[in-house]
Amino acid sequence: MAEEFEPKIVAFLCKWCSSAGSDLAGVSRMEYPPNVVPIQVMCSGSVSPLYVLSAFNKGADGVLVSGCHPGDCHYIKGNFYARRRIALVKRLLDFIGLEPQRFQMSWVSAAEGTKYTQIIKDFVQELKPLGPQTKLRRDL
Amino acid sequence: MVNLEDLKKEAKTVLEEGKVKYIIGYEKSANGLMPVPGFIKSPEEVEKLIWTPACVYNLTKFLVDEKRRKSREKKPDERPVGLVVKGCDSRALVVLLQEKFINRDDVFIIGVSCEETGVIDEKKLIKKLKGKKAEKIEFDEKDNFIVTTQEGKVKIAASEVLAERCLECKANSPVIYDVLLGEKAKRSVDNPFQSLEKIESLPERERWKFWKEQLSKCIRCYACRSVCPMCYCDECVADTINFAVTADTTAEEKAQKIKWLEKSPVKSENFVYHLVRAIHLAGRCIDCGECERVCPLDIPIRFLNKKLEKDAKELFDYEAGFDPEQPSLVSSFKDEDPEDFIR
Amino acid sequence: MKRTGVFICHCGINIAGTVDVKKAAKELAKHKGVVHSEEYVYMCSDPGQNLIIDAIKEKKLDNVVIACCSPTLHETTFRNAAKSAGINTFQCEIANIREQCSWVHKDMNKATDKAIKITKSAVERVRRNESLEPISVPVTRRALVIGGGIAGIQSALDLANSGFEVVLVERSPSIGGHMIQLSETFPTLDCSQCILTPKMVEVSKHPKIKLMTYSEVQEVSGYVGNFKVKILKKPTYVDPDKCTLCDECSKVCPVLVSNEFDLGLTGRRAIYIPFPQAIPATYTLDIKGCPGLLPIACGKCADVCEPEAIDYDMKPEIVEEEVGAIIVTTGYDLYDKENMAEYGYGKYADVLDGLQFERLCSASGPTMGKILRPSDHKEPKEVVFIQCVGSRDPELHCAYCSKICCMYTAKHAMLYKHHVHDGQAYIFYIDIRSGGKGYEEFVQRAVEEDGVLYLRGKVSKIFEDKGKIKVWGVDTLSGKDIEIDADMVVLATAMRPSKGAEELAKKLKIAMDKDGFLSEAHPKLRPVESVTSGMFLAGAAQAPKDIPEAVAQASGAAAKAIAILSQDRLYHAPTVAKVNLNLCTGCGMCVEVCPYEALSLKDGKVEVNEVLCEGCGTCSATCLRAAIQVKNLTPLQVHEMISISLGG
Repeated sequence: MAEEFEPKIVAFLCKWCSSAGSDLAGVSRMEYPPNVVPIQVMCSGSVSPLYVLSAFNKGADGVLVSGCHPGDCHYIKGNFYARRRIALVKRLLDFIGLEPQRFQMSWVSAAEGTKYTQIIKDFVQELKPLGPQTKLRRDL
Repeated sequence: MVNLEDLKKEAKTVLEEGKVKYIIGYEKSANGLMPVPGFIKSPEEVEKLIWTPACVYNLTKFLVDEKRRKSREKKPDERPVGLVVKGCDSRALVVLLQEKFINRDDVFIIGVSCEETGVIDEKKLIKKLKGKKAEKIEFDEKDNFIVTTQEGKVKIAASEVLAERCLECKANSPVIYDVLLGEKAKRSVDNPFQSLEKIESLPERERWKFWKEQLSKCIRCYACRSVCPMCYCDECVADTINFAVTADTTAEEKAQKIKWLEKSPVKSENFVYHLVRAIHLAGRCIDCGECERVCPLDIPIRFLNKKLEKDAKELFDYEAGFDPEQPSLVSSFKDEDPEDFIR
Repeated sequence: MKRTGVFICHCGINIAGTVDVKKAAKELAKHKGVVHSEEYVYMCSDPGQNLIIDAIKEKKLDNVVIACCSPTLHETTFRNAAKSAGINTFQCEIANIREQCSWVHKDMNKATDKAIKITKSAVERVRRNESLEPISVPVTRRALVIGGGIAGIQSALDLANSGFEVVLVERSPSIGGHMIQLSETFPTLDCSQCILTPKMVEVSKHPKIKLMTYSEVQEVSGYVGNFKVKILKKPTYVDPDKCTLCDECSKVCPVLVSNEFDLGLTGRRAIYIPFPQAIPATYTLDIKGCPGLLPIACGKCADVCEPEAIDYDMKPEIVEEEVGAIIVTTGYDLYDKENMAEYGYGKYADVLDGLQFERLCSASGPTMGKILRPSDHKEPKEVVFIQCVGSRDPELHCAYCSKICCMYTAKHAMLYKHHVHDGQAYIFYIDIRSGGKGYEEFVQRAVEEDGVLYLRGKVSKIFEDKGKIKVWGVDTLSGKDIEIDADMVVLATAMRPSKGAEELAKKLKIAMDKDGFLSEAHPKLRPVESVTSGMFLAGAAQAPKDIPEAVAQASGAAAKAIAILSQDRLYHAPTVAKVNLNLCTGCGMCVEVCPYEALSLKDGKVEVNEVLCEGCGTCSATCLRAAIQVKNLTPLQVHEMISISLGG
C-alpha cells in the first residue's frame, strides 16, 4: 500500500504569543502531527509576503502565519499590519488558483496551547486530500 | 475636447517665463499613429506637442529618470520639470508624492482631462481596421474617434477601441495639477472591476488553468517592470539581490544575496515574479495599464493589479493615488479590518 | 566558512524518549559548516555547559547551536556559557526540540526528522548572526505614577521612601481613589478612611513626591530610563496655598450638581471639596457646572472669598517631566448602569450598586452611617444582594469574574445586619469565591453570626410593586421559586477598567487584553511589567483585585521600577533594525508602521533610533526595497531557515 501523503508545513510563529502557545502545547504534552516545522519570528508583522511565496516555491504544501490576538501584540500593533498584508496575499493566491486551504493565518496566544494543537491537526487534515503542492513549487 | 492650441499656449508660457526647465509631453512620431514622449526645452519646440487619443503612455515614469539624472549633476537646475498628465497618470504622480519619491516643487503639472472619453488600445484599433494603416486619430464627440487611413476617414465607436482601463477608469480628469486643460467631466463607469470579475468568478481549477497558461508564457523580459512608474527601486528583489554592492561590501556579504526566485523563465519562477510584482504594487498601482500594454506576450497583467486594487477597496476602503497625504495601504490599518479568514 | 558546533540535549528522556538524539547528532555532523556535533544527557548541567565551553575553545568554533528546550528557558544560560568561552553571546542560538517537537509527537522517526530540521534551521541562522553588544543608555532617576488610588499611593510612597523622586498624577481633584469611598474593609472591618488617610497625608508631605491632582497625562515619548511626559494641569481656579477651607464659597454657589463622591446619592456645588480629608486640601471650581467665567456670569464665590484664593484667570497648563520609569495604576470603574437595565439599576431609586451602598454605610456618607432607603429615607427591613451582576456572563456582559464581589457582598450583608438588627439580608450567588487569608472565615461569620441567607441562583426579574421591590429568583439548591418583597436591592456590578484607560494605554503604547485591562508582560512570571520596558502596572487597572492584592502589586511595581532607577546605565537588546542606505528611497512607510517611533526620515533616508527600536521587524516586512532589516533575524536568515525546513 502506498504511504499516506504527509504535507510539509512551514509555520511562522511570533515569539511572544504563538511560539509561546506552541511551547505550552508541549508543556501540556498535547499531541499533534509532526508535519510542521516552526520558524520563530519576532512578530507576525515581520512576515513578509516574500517569506510566504518563498516557502511555497521551496515546496511547502502549506504555510501558516500565526500571531497574537488583536490588542495583545507584544509590539502593540504589528499583528494589525500582518492582518492586512496577509489578507491581500491570501486573496491573491486564491485568485491565481492556489487552493485556499494551503495558506492560513491564526491568532494563538501564549495561553492557547490547545488552540495551536487543534489548528495544526486541522491544517494537516485539510492538506492531506489536496496532495502535494506543485503550483508554485520550483519546477526547474 | 481639449484644444491642442491651449496646451501649446500653456507650455509656451511656462517655458518663456522660465518656470520649468523643460516639458515632458507627447510628440508626433515618424511612424504614424502612435506618438513618442517628447522633451520640449524651448518655447519654439512647443509646436511639436500633440494631444490625440493615441497619447497612451504614462509619462510620470520619466520623473524617475529625471530624479536620478539630477542627483548625478554637480550643479543641477533646480527648476521643476513640466509634465503632461492624464487622469490616471496624475494618480501615479500622487503615489510618487505620497512615497516622497518626488517633491511637489520639482514638478509643474499640466493636467489634461480625457473628459468623457479616453485613450485607445492600439491592438484593438489594428484589429478593427483590418489591415488598413491608421495615420491619424482624433477625438470626435465623446462616443467616437475619427481615424484617418490611406483610404480616407473612418468613424469608430470609442467603446470599441478604448483601452480596457479607460472603460474602467476612476479618474478621467487629473486629480492634481498646476494647470488643467479640459473639463472635469466624468464618464460614468458602472463597475470598475467588470473584466476582473469574469476571472474571479471562474472556479478554482479554471483560474489556475488560466494563470498557468498565461504566466507560463512570460519570458521575463521585465518590460512590465521597466515601464511601471512605481517600480523605481534601484534594485529589484526579483533580481536575487539583497543589498547594493558598495566599496565596503565584503565578499561574504556578496555571497549572502537572497535568491528569492530563479531567473529562469519557468512557470514556478514566473509565478513568484508576478506575484511579488503585484504585491509590491498593492495600494500603489493606479491602473495606467502600461505593464500590460508593453507585454510582448500579451499576458493580462492588469488583472493581478486589479485584483489587489479591488481587495484594497473592498476590505480596507483604500484607493491609491487620490491623496498624497494618506498613509500607504500596507503601512496603515483600522481596528475593524476584516479578519474572518483568521483562525 | 564559519565553524559551527551543535549540541543536542537528551533532557533525560524528555527529548531522547522521542527523538533519536544519536542519529540527530550524526546527521548534523554532516551539515555544511558543522565541525562538531555531540549529544549529552543534560546540556544545562555544569558538565553539559563545560562540554560546550571546551568544544568552542578546542575546536575554535565560531558559533554554536544548542538543541534543547524552549529558548525562553535556557537561552541565557547557554549564551553566557558561550561568552565565557570567548565568543559573542549572539553566536549561540537555541533549537527548540522539546516543547515544539519531542513533547508533542510520538513517532520517533518523524520526530527525529523534525528535530533535525529545526536544528539545521538554527545552524543556518547562527552562521549569519552578527556579533553584537548591548546598547547602553543613561537613566533619569525619577518615576511617574499615573493614578492616585491606593495602588498609586503605595507605589509612590515606596519609590519616594527609597530615595527616588516621584511625580504622582491624578485626574480628579483629590487622591484616594475608590478606597476612600468605602466604609469598612473585609475581612477585618477596618474603617477604610482611617487606614488610607495616613498614607494620603504622607504623600502630601513627602519631600520626594510631586503631587499633581486634577491633571492628566497627555503625551509620552522616549524609552525605558528616559521618558518625556507632557502633563495637562487643569485649572482649579482656586489657589491651594491661599484657600483656608472656610467653605464660604460653596455656601453661596447657586449651582447644584450630582456628587460623584457619593455616586449621585447627594449633590454638591460647582465649587467644592470632594470630601473633608481631600489631598490636596483645597477647593476646586468645576467649570462644567459653573454658569461661566468668560464672561463671569455669577462671581459669587470670589466675592465671598476673604483670602482671595479664587482666580478666574487660571489657565490650563502643560507641565513637562522627565522620568526613567512609569507605573500605571488607573484603577477601575463599575459597569455602566445602562448595561444593567434588567435589574432596574438606574430606574428604581432603591436599587443600588456596591459603591453606593458603601456610601450609605459610611459614617461620613449622606446618611451619616445610617442605612436608609434613598427613595423615602426609611430603614429597609429586607435587603437583597445580588452577586455576579455583569460578571461571569460571556454572552451578554463580561466573561471574567470581578473577584472582589463575593467578599464585599458578605461584608455588605454583615454591615447591614450590624446597623439594622431586625432586618433580613438575602444574597443571590452563583458560587462563593473566598480564597484569601481570613476570607472564608469571614463569609462563614456572615452566615453563622449574622444570619445572612445565601440563595444559590440567579434573579429572573426585578420590579417595583406597592413601594416594594419585588425580586423573583430561583434557589437552585432547593429547586424552589423565590419571591422577595425587598426594601432595597444592592447589585455587585462588574469591575471594568476605568474610563480613559484605553486612551491612556494608547498614549503609553502598552497593550490591553480583550476586556480592556492592561496586559502584563507574562501572566505568571512578569505580572507587574507591561510589555513596554520601563512601564509597570498595579492595581485594578491590570485585573480586578482587592486592596491587599493591589497594595502588594503596587509595591512589586515600585520594586521593579527601582531596579531600573538604581542603575547607572541601562542595556538594551542590540537586535534592532538596520538600514541599507543604498536601497532606501525615503518613502517613509517603515516610519509609519513603527510602533515605537524609532524610525525617522533624515535627508531623504530612514534613520533608526537604536534605543527606541524593539526589533519587531514590521518595518522590514513593509519595506518594498529590502532596505531595512532586523539584525540577527534578517530576511536572508529567514530565507535559509525556510529552505532548510523544507529539506534544503
